[in-house]
This record gives sequence, C-alpha cells and structure tokens, in this order.
Amino acid sequence: MTWKHVLGERVPDDVGREIDTYENQMALKRQGKIDDKVFAETRLRRGAYGQRYDNGQRNDGTGVKPLPFPSNGQTKGPDTVWDAPGMQRIKIPFGGLTTDQMGTLAELAEEYSDRVVHITTRQDVQLHYVHIDDTPDLMRRLAAVGITTREACGNTVRNVTACPIAGVCRDEAFDVTPYAQASMRFLLGHPDTQDFGRKFKVAFSGCRQHACGLVNMHDFGAIGVTRTADGVTERGFEVYVGGGLGAVPHEAKRFEPFMAEEEILPTLQAMSRVFARLGEKKNRARARVKFLVAQLGLDEFRRLVREERAALPKDDRWAGYLDDLPAYGERPLKTGQALAEDTGSASFQAWARTNVYRQRQPGYVVATVSLPLGDLSSHQLRRLADVARRFVGDTVRATVEQNIVLRWVRESDLPALHRELDAIGLARPGAGSIADITACPGTDTCKLGIASSRGLAAELERRLADQMETLDHSVRGLRIKVSGCFNSCGQHHISDLGFYGVSRHVGGHVVPHFQVVLGGKWVDNGGAYGLAIGAVPSKNIPDVVRRITDRYVEAREGAESFYAFTTRVGKRALRSLIEDLMAVPAHDLDASYYRDWGDPREFGIGDMGIGECAGEVVSLTEFDLAGAESQIFEAQLFLEAGDFERADALAYGAMLQAARGLIKTQDIDISNDPEQVVTQFRLRFYDTEIFFDRFAGGKFAQYLFRRHTRGTPVVGIDTARQLIEEAQLFVEATHACQARLAAQPVMMAPPVHAAAADGRPS
Amino acid sequence: MKVPAPVMTDIDDVQRIALTVFLADDSHLDPRDVIPVFHRWIQTHAVDGLLIDVADYTHLPTGPSVLLVAHEGQYSLDRTDGRLGLQYTRTRPLAGTLGERLRVLGRTLAHAAGLLETDSTLRGAVRFAGNELTCVANDRLRAPNTAGTLEAWRPTLDTFFRTVSADAGWSLTREPDPGAPFGVRARTTGSTPLRTITARLTAAPDI
Repeated sequence: MTWKHVLGERVPDDVGREIDTYENQMALKRQGKIDDKVFAETRLRRGAYGQRYDNGQRNDGTGVKPLPFPSNGQTKGPDTVWDAPGMQRIKIPFGGLTTDQMGTLAELAEEYSDRVVHITTRQDVQLHYVHIDDTPDLMRRLAAVGITTREACGNTVRNVTACPIAGVCRDEAFDVTPYAQASMRFLLGHPDTQDFGRKFKVAFSGCRQHACGLVNMHDFGAIGVTRTADGVTERGFEVYVGGGLGAVPHEAKRFEPFMAEEEILPTLQAMSRVFARLGEKKNRARARVKFLVAQLGLDEFRRLVREERAALPKDDRWAGYLDDLPAYGERPLKTGQALAEDTGSASFQAWARTNVYRQRQPGYVVATVSLPLGDLSSHQLRRLADVARRFVGDTVRATVEQNIVLRWVRESDLPALHRELDAIGLARPGAGSIADITACPGTDTCKLGIASSRGLAAELERRLADQMETLDHSVRGLRIKVSGCFNSCGQHHISDLGFYGVSRHVGGHVVPHFQVVLGGKWVDNGGAYGLAIGAVPSKNIPDVVRRITDRYVEAREGAESFYAFTTRVGKRALRSLIEDLMAVPAHDLDASYYRDWGDPREFGIGDMGIGECAGEVVSLTEFDLAGAESQIFEAQLFLEAGDFERADALAYGAMLQAARGLIKTQDIDISNDPEQVVTQFRLRFYDTEIFFDRFAGGKFAQYLFRRHTRGTPVVGIDTARQLIEEAQLFVEATHACQARLAAQPVMMAPPVHAAAADGRPS
Repeated sequence: MKVPAPVMTDIDDVQRIALTVFLADDSHLDPRDVIPVFHRWIQTHAVDGLLIDVADYTHLPTGPSVLLVAHEGQYSLDRTDGRLGLQYTRTRPLAGTLGERLRVLGRTLAHAAGLLETDSTLRGAVRFAGNELTCVANDRLRAPNTAGTLEAWRPTLDTFFRTVSADAGWSLTREPDPGAPFGVRARTTGSTPLRTITARLTAAPDI
C-alpha cells in the first residue's frame, strides 16, 4: 500500500506524472546515471533544498567533525550527501491556504519533518529535516489538496506573492488576488520560464503606500491602479521591474505607469523570454533581472520587452481568466456583525489593538495570528485549521511578515476567536510591532548563514515583548528584520532596524557580528533600502536597538517617521551612538561574545594555533580592514550628500585597502599603487582561489577587478550605491578569507611568482 | 485532506514511531537549559544515533521545544497540553517486528531520559514519571487513527507495557482527535522508576 495508490485520482494526472518522473530521477541518481549538478537543479525545481551540514561535516564546538551518513558515497548534488536532512519548500501562491491544506501541512510536518511548520518571507511554507526519500510522497499528498512544490526553488519563477489583505483592504484600488493566481498558473512550467540563469520573482499589491506586497524588491512588481476614460473605469497596473534585495540590492524601476490588465500575462511572458535570452547564465552572482536592467538601461530593456510582446503569438490564457473576475471573491462564512466597544478581557483588548484590522466590508475584520519566528507546531496548525473552519472557512493567508491572517472574521466573534487562539498558544499580541520580528533561518538550517538570525530575533522578541506596554508609542510600530547573511532573505534592507550576520576575527577567534542597517523603508512597498553603518558583536545588538530607539524617542520632531529621523540625524551621528558597542572584549575577559545567541558552541573556527609572526601580520590586516570599513561608511555619507563621485572613489578605495591588507599576510611591503594591489591580489588570492568563497567562488573579487578596470567612470546614484554594496561584500569576503588563513596552523605564503609581475621578491 | 480509509497493513511496516515519557509533577526544568546539554551529547556521542544538530523551538508553546536531530530519529524535549516530556521519534527504518522495535525505541528513550535525570548542569531538577507513556505512529497510511488500528496494535502494546512494568495494570487510551496521528496514552496507577524501566527494557530480548 502506497500513498500513490491511496490518493489515486485525487492527484491530478499531470502533477502525478511529474512526481513519478522526479521519483524516477531519484532512482537514476542513485544508480549514478544522472550528473550531480543536473539532479541538484531537478530537486531544487521541486522545492527539495539543501540544509546546513548536508556536506557531511559540522563544527560541534570543539572542531569540525565528520557526519558519517550511511549513504555510501551517494550524493544529491555537488558536495551534498544523500542521507543528510534537507528542507522542503512549499509554494503557497499569494499565501492563500484552505483549511484542508493546513491540515495536510500539519500531517506532513509530523510524518516527514520535525513537527514544526515555518512560514517564510515569501508566503511559502518550509519543512526542515526532511529526508529526500520521503519527498515524492510528501509532494503527492500536497498535490491531493491542490498544492505544488514545483518551481519552489531553482532558476524558475518563484512563488507569486501578493498582499495578504487583498480584497478586504480599505485602501486598495481593487483585489489583486485573481491576477496573482492567474500569473502563477500561467507561468508555472511555462516553456518560456525554464531557461533562466537565476530565479524570477513576481509580486502584486493593491496600493502604493503599504508594505504588504513589497513590489519595490521584485523582478516584476505590479500595483493595482484604475483610470477613467470616457466615463468608464479601467483596471490596470503600475508595473515595476528589476528590483531585488540580496547581496547587491536594486530598487525596482517603473516600467509602465498603467498597464492594462489583459497585458499582465503577455508582458510577463515577454519579459521571461528576454530574461532567458539575454540574462547572465554563467555568473550566478549577476544573473537576476536587476542586473540585466542595469546593464541594458531601463529604456532599452523596456523596448526589448515590448518588441518581444508584439511578436508573441496570441495565447487565450492571457485574458481568459478575466471573464471570471466578476464572479471572483471569497464568500464569508458568517453574516457581518459589529462588536460592541470595550468588550472582552484586558488581554483581548491588547491583542485586538495590534492584531485586528477592520475590513472595508462592514462587520468584518482580519485577525492576525502572530507567529514567533514564523513557526508553529503541527499540533497548533491542525487546531488552527479547526478554528478557521468554524470562524472563517477557507480564507486564510500567510504573510511576508511570517504570520497567518484569518480574513472575514465576523467582528462580534472576535472575543470567542481570541479565546480559541489563546487555547492553542496563538493569541500572541503585537502583530506588526517592534516585537514581531522577521528572521530568515540563518545558521539554524541555512547553508549560507553566517550568524544566528533566529537566535538574535528570539532574544529581541523576548526582551521587547516584555517591554511592549512601557515602550513609547512611536517605537512600538517599528519593524526589525534580521538576516543570517548579506543575502537578505530576512529583508533587512527594508526595515526600520535591519541586521545581517557577518563575522570578525578577533585575537585568534571568530566572533559573530551583525551589520546594523539603517535607512530602509517598510512602507511604500519597501520604498527605500537601508545601508550598513557598522558591524556590532551579536551580543551587543539588543543594546543597539535600545540606544537607537531611545534616541528616536528623545529627538523625534513631531510625528516624524523613523525613516525621516534617520535621514535627518544622519548615519554619522547614529553610528557614533553605537560605536563603543562595536568593541569586542578579549576572550578570557568575556567568552560570551564568542558564542552566538541560542547556541552554546564556540562560534566558528576558533582555537587553532597561529604562529607569532602570522599574528602580527594578521593585526596589520585587521588594521587595513578597519580602514576599509571606515571608507565604506564615509562613502555612504557622500552618497547621501549627493556626491556620487567621492562615494564611488571611497568605495573603490575601501576594496583596495582591504585587498592590500590581505596581501600583507604574504608581502608586508606591498605598495599603495592600485595597479600593484590589484595585480598582487589577483596573483596571490584570486588565481590561487584562496579568496574564493565556498558558495560564491570568486564573485566578490570580481567587484574589485571590475571597478579597477573602469578607471574614472561617470557615476550616478545607482552606480555609486551599487559599488558601496559591492565594497561592503568585498570587505566581508576579506574578513572571511583572513579568518580562514588565521585558522591554518602555520601561515605560509603560497608559491606565487610575484617577482615576475612587480620586479620585487615575493 | 481527509484521512484515508483504514488500511489494514502489517503493523510491522510502521516505522515512524514516537515514544514519550513525562516529567514528574515535582520536576522543574527550563527547556532552554537543555540546549547546552543536547550540544554536549553531540560532542560526547552520549546517545544512540548519528547526532546532527540541535534546534531551539523554545518559543513554541506546544510540540518540540528543544530538538536533538539524529539521522535515525529525533530526541525532543516536548510540550504537550502544557506538560513537558522527553520524546524519541524514529524517522528512518529499523529492522525487526513492531514489538522488537518498540523495545529498542524504549531503551533509547529511557537511556536519554536517564542522562537528563543525572545531568549535573540541570541541578537534579529532572525526574521522569514511570506511570505514563505515549506511543504515536506518525504514519497515517499504515496506521490511521482508528479503533481498528488500536485493535491491531493492542497485543503488541500490551506486551511492550508489560515489559516496561510487569505488575502494573496499564490502561490504554487512543488519541481522540481524528486529525492527529494514531497514538495511545498508557497510564498506570503504580509508578516505576525510570532506572527500573531501563533495566527491564535492556534485559528484554534484543532484535
């Protein structure tokens, strides 16, 4: 008896065949008949992701130890052990969930995962510690309730996101849900979306001013707008392209102020074709739409997409769904009814103040189930499905803030709903507050995580939740978002207070740090991206939050927003406010700095012997790295002041100084001449691959080479900003390289024929 | 999705089984104190399995609170209905009949629970009650949560609980939530110390 047999026709034929094919590919892989890279992309396109330690090794706090999985050398991708636990990402288009789907997700978490369901920042669900052998049945069970994991990862169109209160929002132009749904269906498995160099993200929002859709950070973002012509109101979209966070964030650019609704799907198809044809394929670091738009220029990109659109053969699906729009809409389970004021207990009132949103439909509200770190247990999810069945039906959505909303709650039901949620531990107040923190998985499960984003977020949530009632009103609504690395899955760029994990080498130990990111805007669809103002040891981040928010309360002018406050006060003043928190005490004075939040292990590689001489050289390197960071900070100040050329020069100078610092580990007499620095860096650290990041390879070095080759360029705000981001990443990579070198028992210069290059002995 | 119609397969095919013992009422344990203990278990290979990592879910009010993930299964300090317990869940196949596997799982769980009881960093605050256990089959295909499944499992469970405590009269209650996996809560009025349970399971025939 198998799930395939039991589910039978409940799995649609085409989906069932896809899963069968995937299962067959697994069998072929085990027979060695499929290449590692090919199979890795195959499983990624089905949402079966890698997880930390799947390379078969882990630092247990005393050193890196092998994890001898019983796979007999079987792999499921390059450097990825077959038996190692993995993460299964499950696409939930626009976050929409039925109660049956919730029940199934709970079952799958129990049977194949760790009984915890995680909501992501893209309205997906993730299950962790899943064995790849279990994934086909997991997918079949999802398919039986209308969920596919297809193209949840890989170089594909990822989950199509949308505002979770679309259709009930008081400020939207119209409900964007059916457009998001149609886009998802149209693009899923479409032949024109199968040959990308990287992923492609689509989002829909019903308004410009709120954050629910985050259009500004998407490859293709659409804001619902209307216009009236000849007395007829027309629906359309203000379309943005080329946005994205990640290592080098780009704000989206307006592609069209009004795109008719029937043009959305063909334009997405045309854009997919242009991206597939012209987008970068070899260098993954530059393979997103944002780089293509930057490279071609918006006008040329637009021209190419329109040209492509004009040449496309007509497809009935482009507008077919529009005929059903008048009938589209959720049916409330109950008749709307208002709630008398001052009803309920004090805890109900506190919850209702932050977790309830009044719908535009009288008598109805949206209730937010605030999830700590985006998690809920399988037991809670099953019970929540029961609650939803009784109060709202199938009108549940996951949000980009890692929460779940119940829509169409009859307002008079709120006290009863609160009681029911409270009984299953899901009545946490403070949704959308400073204590409702977004965090990516970070070092907990992500292979790329540097510092513990969840550990930090949990600690901040604990402290801030305790203080909520005493916090100044202006601070309560701020957003904190934490990423475990620069890739920004925690969306740190678009929060009031953002943090992303980095590491620093201090006295022979590696210390977890977070870069403090200020200047981001959550509202206006993620309307502005913040920049890092300095790295602070993880241990001190709670003090950073306290000091900056205290200063905001003290120095706020009228109803000034936090974004306006940081802009007015300036990053120099805010950095000086936290400068003393950047210091790290020696290990023997306070070892707690050398551990991450929620993890008792010594952080990273710590205690290997370092030669005395190497120690000196390392200190010189650190000096240069500190200088490089200062230059980056200065570059930001010039960027803000509109002096883009100086910002560019400083960012370039920062990379040169960091590179020079690294060269000093081998050649203490390296000159200041940029040509010499770049040549020596290339010879000693790039050609030898010593500088290479395990995942990113040499991409960070390319930032230096590219800028060096450019000479004295004409600089605008976008190019200056990008160079600052790149310089920050180059310096981070230099820190990491230095830490790797310092961890070697004896630091010996590799045999580099530098004498031939610069005439001096190496 | 509706639970599939009961499928009477060989109960020996069910592999994903979880056993839980609960903390005694007079125990006081902050789950966060267990995080360094589990990390130490990885360093010292203190419990069975290829130990991989520790997951901190102390922010969750139900379900796993602190999880020690092994390749073969998961150890978790678990919170059910407001009560803390230690659970061992087998996730990869194990040879033997259901009865044989239950004894192996019981030994694995009892050994881990014993380590927590005697861990000096927990200041002796941990004591597990020997008069209540749960057994859950995380396999809705082969063990749907029905009376039929309990009927099929009962002889094996009776044997297992007699091994745990021979002279106790165990009462078995099936998990009432039809959406939950098949599970049985076993209670007895007497109380057997954990070390006795461990000894009896260890002395039982191996697979």
